[in-house]
Amino acid sequence: MTVWGILLAAILTAAILFVPKAGLLALWNRFRSHRDRTRSEDALKHILAWRQRSGPASLESLAGSLRLSPSTVLHLATRLETAGWIQCGAAGIELTPAGERRALQVVRAHRLWERHLADDANMPIGRLHQAAERAEHSLTVSQVARLDAHLGHPQHDPHGDPIPSADGRVASLNAVCLNDWPVDMPGRIAHIEDEPDAVFRRILAAGLRPSQVVRVVEAHDASLRMQVEDAECVIDRALAINIHVSSARRDDLYPADAARLSDMRQGDSGEIIGMGPECTGFSRRRLLDLGLTPGASVQVVLDNTFGDPRAFRVRGTTIALRREQAEHVWVRPRESAARMEVSR
Amino acid sequence: MPTSPEAILERSDSLRREIGGDFRDRMVGALYESAQQVASRSVRETGKRKWDFDQRVDRLVTSRSLGLPIMLLLLALVFWITILGANVPSQMLANALFTVEAAAAGWFDSLGVPLWITGLLWHGMFRGLAWVVSVMLPPMAIFFPVFTILEDLGYLPRVAFNLDWLFRRAGAHGKQALTMAMGFGCNAAGVTSTRIIDSPRERLLAILTNNFVPCNGRFPTLIMLAVIFVAASFPPAVASVAAAGAVVCVVVLGIGFTLAVSWALSRSVLSGEASAFTLELPPYRRPSVLRILYTSLIDRTVFVLGRAMLTAAPAGAVIWILANVTYGERSLASLAIGWLDPLGAAIGLDGVILLAYVIAIPANEIVVPTMLMCYLGGSMMIDVATYDEIRVVLIDQHGWTLLTAVNLMLFSLLHNPCATTILTIWKETRSPRWTTLGALMPLAFAFATCFATAQAVRLLP
Repeated sequence: MTVWGILLAAILTAAILFVPKAGLLALWNRFRSHRDRTRSEDALKHILAWRQRSGPASLESLAGSLRLSPSTVLHLATRLETAGWIQCGAAGIELTPAGERRALQVVRAHRLWERHLADDANMPIGRLHQAAERAEHSLTVSQVARLDAHLGHPQHDPHGDPIPSADGRVASLNAVCLNDWPVDMPGRIAHIEDEPDAVFRRILAAGLRPSQVVRVVEAHDASLRMQVEDAECVIDRALAINIHVSSARRDDLYPADAARLSDMRQGDSGEIIGMGPECTGFSRRRLLDLGLTPGASVQVVLDNTFGDPRAFRVRGTTIALRREQAEHVWVRPRESAARMEVSR
Repeated sequence: MPTSPEAILERSDSLRREIGGDFRDRMVGALYESAQQVASRSVRETGKRKWDFDQRVDRLVTSRSLGLPIMLLLLALVFWITILGANVPSQMLANALFTVEAAAAGWFDSLGVPLWITGLLWHGMFRGLAWVVSVMLPPMAIFFPVFTILEDLGYLPRVAFNLDWLFRRAGAHGKQALTMAMGFGCNAAGVTSTRIIDSPRERLLAILTNNFVPCNGRFPTLIMLAVIFVAASFPPAVASVAAAGAVVCVVVLGIGFTLAVSWALSRSVLSGEASAFTLELPPYRRPSVLRILYTSLIDRTVFVLGRAMLTAAPAGAVIWILANVTYGERSLASLAIGWLDPLGAAIGLDGVILLAYVIAIPANEIVVPTMLMCYLGGSMMIDVATYDEIRVVLIDQHGWTLLTAVNLMLFSLLHNPCATTILTIWKETRSPRWTTLGALMPLAFAFATCFATAQAVRLLP
């Protein structure tokens, strides 16, 4: 009896350890290979980013960026060099053509995933980067290609960075730093750098988002006073370094009498001017499909006891929208019939 | 003009860069514009009376003072009609089906068919089937049509409008209130009804949490426990109020779980799923009764009943085998109860209850009959006529306490969905991942909650 018990326990232990795919050993191997892939890809990305910014990367910069010990980084660099992805020369670490292709693939996966999270899952822009940092290491090339087709081959990620094409071409950013933008000229925010995180968060907190049309009202030595949609904000020049602006037409600015649909009161009506650029992807398509297109007339017909959602009359149907959606819809208000009676 | 495929792809790629981000906007705008032109040529609007009427009703049913009372009143009315109307037919159906069982078993015996075949076929499979049909069919045949009338009137979207604030905070959609209401009738029907939510993430939330609403297969258990245990610890004058209060507490707890779990899921595993809010408030209209009877009887009642019967018959067979096949001196059921007892004790229940829940995975209706069968050592599922008799069995003979009752109520509310619902989750999502999560997550919650209450009560002096 005891012998059989010990034998059974031994077989069970062996099974738990060595079963292919589900055993502890297989799990450990999978964990290690994923960790190795993450490290190599992060290293390639770092070398690519440094070359674009300041020059060749070094073992020190790699260790600092990946938060690894010097010996681990040395091991990693040897592995990448053996794989033919990098070349350690006198000036520092350079990418080989194969390594550059691989690095661009990772960047492509990262930016497409950010686009997906922003467009489909409606994730706030401040959380995109962290989520994509994780996802980029588990996507395969064919998954990335499918994602690209599903999203309609987007050219830019939600921050405005160009998405590399499948064969590794990267469009250049056609924009000027906000600090160099002339006063009073309308410009569209083309790009907000999402690293470092603290700077990015302060820019978001000031109310700036990619694709907004903005105007510098006054330029001071250390800060800029700007008009952003229906609000004004002051932003430090140190933060403005990370913002890039491209040209916009004057009528891209919302007219002075424009209002957000969410700010209108029950009974008010108006004509839709357009939808704000922050509302993208799936949410934007839904609103368009409901008939909230420029030129359509809209009326607030029903308030909600709890404030949200409220109901609007558009194109002969009544639809309920939450505040977070209605605030993206810009309307030119009409004097409502009820109010005209009062004024008479 | 480019001619080779490569050149065409190249050109499409370069055009894509020039087209700009707003071409979708312009496309939809152009479509609406031409539709508007066609409509203005061929459609003439006459009168505004219908729309004025709709608006007056809308103001009333969403008003600050009357909106929620009207909603609660209508829901209470639906439940009242269901419970009142289902009692008698349920009893009649049970009597008829059990008479058939007795007659058929007698006939088999007289023909000399071996006892085990008669037992397995009639006292096992047929009895399980009969039980599920008689408990399930009448309430569903009443609940679904009445609910569908409210749907057809156009009232239900207004409920979603009124309650959306609650669900928005949990990351869910106001229409989840409707799928939950449907879940009171049957969780499988509730899961199917999530098709009204057209946003993938919110729909998955509604599917995965529908089980936290007790369906009509679990209500009898909850009511029985409330009457026997909770009501008994209050003076007779307020006993029935206390019992009703206990059931309401359980339901409210279930709603709390739904919201909390929705909140957690939408911020973790589901945060990458597509999401957008739309809620149309259609005009009110006169319900078309024939269509309602058809959709609610064929689409919902018969459909759900069919799936339940498919799983109830094998369950009946398993119950009979467990009670009648012996190993050594004891039946398989009593052996299994022995194994499950320590686990049951740890979460404030016992082996019999756990065994009943394992067997009752196909349909929650058979939990109580199976439990009584095991306690009384019978050879088939047993119905005990009155609550007093059940009280004697549970409290006097098998040492149930208030803790057992409370934990059983919690377990009944939170445990895994029945096989029919799991099957429906699979049909609706086609994803092994979501089906597994939908089945196992509630079970984990049930064990954790019951364990916590049991340990807390035992630690208290």
